[in-house]
Formats: sequence, structure tokens, C-alpha cells
Amino acid sequence: MIYKYGLAGLWYAFFSAWCAISAFASARIFRRSLAYTQAEWQSLRFSGLGAELLRGWFAGWQVFMNMFILGWVGIAMGKVCHFLFGWPIWVGLVFFSSLVAIYVLTAGYWGVVVADFQQGVIAFFMIIITSIWGVMAAGGPEKITAKLNSIGQGWRLNPFHFTGTFTGDFPLAWFITMIVIAVLGGFGMGTSIDWYVEAQRIQSSKTVKDASYSIWWGTAFVLFRNSFWAAAIIAFFAMFPHLTNPAEYEMAWYVIGFKVLPVGMVGFFFASILAIHFSTISTHLNLGAMYFTRDIFQHYIKPDASERTLVWVGRITTLVLLLGSFFYGLMMEELTSWLIFALWIMAAGVWLPNILQVIWWRFNSWGYLTAWIANLGLSWLVVWVLPAFKVIPSLPDYVQFWILMFLGALIYIPVTLLTPPEDMDHLVKFYVMSRPYGWWKPVKREAIARGLIKEV
Amino acid sequence: MAFIKTKWTPEEAEEWTKEDIIIWVLSPISYVLISVGSALSIFLIPIGFLLLALGVIVTIVLFAIANPKLNVISGEYEKRQKEYLERLERITRWEE
Repeated sequence: MIYKYGLAGLWYAFFSAWCAISAFASARIFRRSLAYTQAEWQSLRFSGLGAELLRGWFAGWQVFMNMFILGWVGIAMGKVCHFLFGWPIWVGLVFFSSLVAIYVLTAGYWGVVVADFQQGVIAFFMIIITSIWGVMAAGGPEKITAKLNSIGQGWRLNPFHFTGTFTGDFPLAWFITMIVIAVLGGFGMGTSIDWYVEAQRIQSSKTVKDASYSIWWGTAFVLFRNSFWAAAIIAFFAMFPHLTNPAEYEMAWYVIGFKVLPVGMVGFFFASILAIHFSTISTHLNLGAMYFTRDIFQHYIKPDASERTLVWVGRITTLVLLLGSFFYGLMMEELTSWLIFALWIMAAGVWLPNILQVIWWRFNSWGYLTAWIANLGLSWLVVWVLPAFKVIPSLPDYVQFWILMFLGALIYIPVTLLTPPEDMDHLVKFYVMSRPYGWWKPVKREAIARGLIKEV
Repeated sequence: MAFIKTKWTPEEAEEWTKEDIIIWVLSPISYVLISVGSALSIFLIPIGFLLLALGVIVTIVLFAIANPKLNVISGEYEKRQKEYLERLERITRWEE
């Protein structure tokens, strides 16, 4: 994106800014719920059959999604090893993911956290060092700027250079939509695919304050790091400005690392690639295993399971996830477009319900379930079927987002209002424990009447 | 700083107040300034340094507002955490 759109491409990575508000809003509420997973949170916020359906659905979906992400990330490593060492693609996938699985299986979450900390430090510093090296190799900041200006490409240094308000493939309307999705999404839970991973970080923080700060600073460092990354790609553009084949410029970062860094640094560079890979694989192996163990096995299969049994179920699930990721990874080319569509479904039609479940007491599990189901059909229609039959034109993704959000609301808001609210006892317990913001007046009044909280 | 409350009782801190709204506004601004400011600073573009400096200032103000309230919320909540954890176990084991 940076090679194509210059510094404006930074905004493609700005979706992580949901943490800006979430750190001081939904992360605080989630930490106070003490739920291990987002699936478990559903049974605290909602009650009865609807809550159980949601918990089961979320758990199953997340086990699948984690396996998919493992395959996706794993096959990327396979491709890097193929590029570097000429290995068959499956070797990089199987070898490095299996290596990670050893410490995840033996050390569990604690092992993931300790290793992740070291991997984060290695990756962060190597990205900064490599980026600076890349910029210097292109002649330094002044020469890059001068070169871009001399070839009429100076606009690449403008982060707000769009292709038009609504025109082109990178318009201002896309930017505004992205800012709304990312920033306002912080009021909800699950408005970004990253939420599910961050939820684990939020919950493993020692205090509510630690949870807020870890989310905020973690993302601040990611955004700071992305700026260096972007600068390196701009430097690459200054060195090779005429590449038109995506397969060539998509390897820009690796070209800088392996061809520009001095020989003695190349090992460190590869270590940083491994660090990023290990960090992602270990997190998703552990997260997927947690959803299965806590929300499916313990909750639905064996509620009285001992700690020892739960640990073993977690280990076996980790292994199954690993094996499943090999399967997904190797057939990824066929699956990717379908799964990106599935991810889009998660982002578009349930974005608003993910916020409503936090800010509106009256929003119930039936409304939320309806939002998911309606969105499956609506996404299919708006994204694929209707354009294929030329009923509507093929729409840009940001337009699809607004249409899906609006059409979905026309279905799940009436369903919510036509079905009973959640049980008041359950809502009061949730309110007292989590203290959500927004429209919770009837629940707050009831909590005060019961003497559970004081009126200020 | 009278406009911004810095001393909180546990009951007051539990409420969502104007301080939270200010934080919700400042926080995304801080992210934008850090992102854009650092990217432009690497290319020694003067506005980049200015934006980055602004980003640092906004971040300091943000945490100066957030910290007193979060300290109180956190401290108060931890006293009740054990009871909530026990309830969570009961729900998972179908005892509630």
C-alpha cells in the first residue's frame, strides 16, 4: 500500500486505532467482567437461551478463525523461506509452526507471554534499525525527498493525499469510513478482528488500569513502528520507482533487509521475521485452545472438569489447531477470497451491534443473533449476488459497509424491540460489575434501588 | 486545572464523566499525531517534528487526566474481584 499510495497508505494500518477509545472505554468494561473470552462475556451480558447460543457460536467461530489465521500466517512463512532458501513452501509452514507449538504445549499462556515480550522487543528494534538503514541506503531523507520531487512523485510524502472525494481507488470517503470504523469501534467489543486477541491481553493485566494502559501503549508502539516501516518502503520506491508488478514491490521489505543491510545484520533481520511469526503463531494457538477448552469443553461438555483435565484438553486442542493450520495453510490460495469475505462479514454488518451490546441496555441476545444471521444473507447479496446479476453495480468496500450497516439495522432493531429485554436481575449484576456507559438508566435505577450502588 | 477533576471518591470515579469524554477525544488525536508526525519527521520535514511534539503533549495531557480516575477505579474494583471471579466459575459450571 505504501509503495502504491505513498504515506497515505499508512491509513490501511490505522484500523488498530480502535484501541484509542477502547483503552479508556470497552477495555475497562471487559477487564471488569473478568471473562476469559469474548464468548464468555456474552453469558455475562445476556441471559437464557440467547446467551448460550451466542456463547457457543462465538466459541466455535473463534476456534475456526484462529486455525485459519494460523494457516494464513504459517503459509506466509513458507513463502518467505521459499524466497530465501528455496525450500518447498510446506517446509517453512510446518517446521516453524511446530517449533512454536513445542513451547506453547509445554508452557501454556505463561510461556506465550514471556516469549512474546522478547519477540516484541526484537521485532520492534530490528524494524527501526532496518528502516533507518533502508532510508540511508536510498541516500538519506533529503535525497529521497529531492528524488521524489524531481520525478513528480512528491505527493507520496503527503499522508493526506487521496485520489478524490469519492473517485479513484483510494478516496477521502474511504478514509472517513475507516476512521469511523476504527475510532468509534472502540466503544464496542469485537468491532475489529484484533479485539479477540487483545481481549486476552486485557484480561491478563493485573489491574483495570494496567489493562487500559497496555492496550493504549501497545497500539501507540505499533503505529510508531508502522511509520518507520512506511519510511523504509518510501525509500525502496526512491530506489526502484518503476515497479508495476505487485509480486515485486510486495517483497520490498525483504529486499531492504536481505540486500541492503550489512551481512552481519542479516541474521538479526531473519530473527526479527521469526519473532513476528512466532509471536503470532503462539498467540493464536493459545487463544484458539482457550476458546475450545473454556467455552466448549468446560461449559458444554464437562462442567465439573478438574484443572488437570482442562490443561490436557488445552494441550490436545493446541495440537489439533496446529495440524488444522497445516491443512488450511496448504489450501490457502483457494480459500483466501472466501475467508476475506467471511472477515468482511464480521466487520461490516455486526459493527454497530458490537457497539450496541455495550452501550444500550435494551439490546438483547435475539437482536444480536439476528444481526449475525441477517448479515450473512445481506453480505452475500450486496457483495456478490446482486452485482453478479447486474441488479446493482459492484460497489467500493466503504459503500458496502454503510449499506450493510443500514440494512442490517432495519432487521435487528425491530427484532430487539419485539422480543423481551434481558432478565433484569442478570442486567443489574452485569451493570454493577462492569459499569458500562451509554443508555443504561433503567438498570442503574434498579441497582440503586437494591442498594448495590450509591447515587452520586 | 479546576475544569479537570483530579481527586475522586470511589463512587464518583465509577461514573462516566466529562473527563472520560475529553480522553476519548484526545486519544485518537494523539494516535494520528504520533503516526503522521513520526513518518514525516523521518524525512526531516519540519511540520512532522511539530506534529510529533504536539502528539507527545497531547499524550501527556491525556494521561494526566486519565490517571487519577483510573487509579481510584482500579483500586476499588480489585477489592471486589474475588467475588466476581467466583461467580464467573459458577456460570461456567452451570451452578448459577
